[in-house]
Amino acid sequence: MDAASALAELQQLSSRIESAVVLDEAGAVLGFSGDDSSAAERLADAAREVLAAAGGLRSADAEVTRVEVELAEGGLFVVREGGRTIAATTGSDAIAGIVVYDLRTSLQGIDAAKPKRRRAKPKSSGDEQESET
Amino acid sequence: MRLLRLVVVAALAVWAWRYLFGGRRSAERATVAFADGSGVALEPGSAEFDRLASVARAVLS
Repeated sequence: MDAASALAELQQLSSRIESAVVLDEAGAVLGFSGDDSSAAERLADAAREVLAAAGGLRSADAEVTRVEVELAEGGLFVVREGGRTIAATTGSDAIAGIVVYDLRTSLQGIDAAKPKRRRAKPKSSGDEQESET
Repeated sequence: MRLLRLVVVAALAVWAWRYLFGGRRSAERATVAFADGSGVALEPGSAEFDRLASVARAVLS
C-alpha cells in the first residue's frame, strides 16, 4: 500500500483525524490526506519542527518516536517508526492512545520503497516491459 | 459545629478552584517518547511546552 492509500484508509477508520501527512527518512512528503498540498506542507513543517524541539529535550542519540500535543483547539500527533514519520491533527475530543495506535498501524501498512532493479537488463533487447509488482 | 463549617468551606474552596482552573489545565498536555522507552511529560507553562504548543496551534488554527 502506498502512503496516499494508507492515509485514505486511516481517515476512513478514524473520524477524529482531520489531516495527516507521511514523511520519509529525509523529511520529504511521501503522501498526505485531502487535496490541499499547502496545508500538507504546513503540517509537514510542523512535524519536523516538533521533532526537532522534542529531540532537544534529550541527548543527541535519543531518537524521538512519538510527540503528542493536546490543546483546547485540538491535537497534533507525530509518530516516527522505521525511518518514516506520520503526523496528524485531530479535534479536541480525540483519545490520544487510539490516535497513536491508528497512526502507527497506518505507518506500518505503507510498503517499503520499491527498489531500483531495472539496471540489470541490457537495453539492446528492445522489449522493455512495464510490469507492476 | 464550627469545625464542620470550616470543613465545608474548605471543600467548597477546593471545588471552586478546580472548577475554575483545573479543567483548563488538564485539557492541555504534551508528551514526548523516545526510542529507549523513556518519555517526558511537559508541564503546561514551561518553555518546552509553549514551544510545542505554538507549533501545534499554527496548524490547528
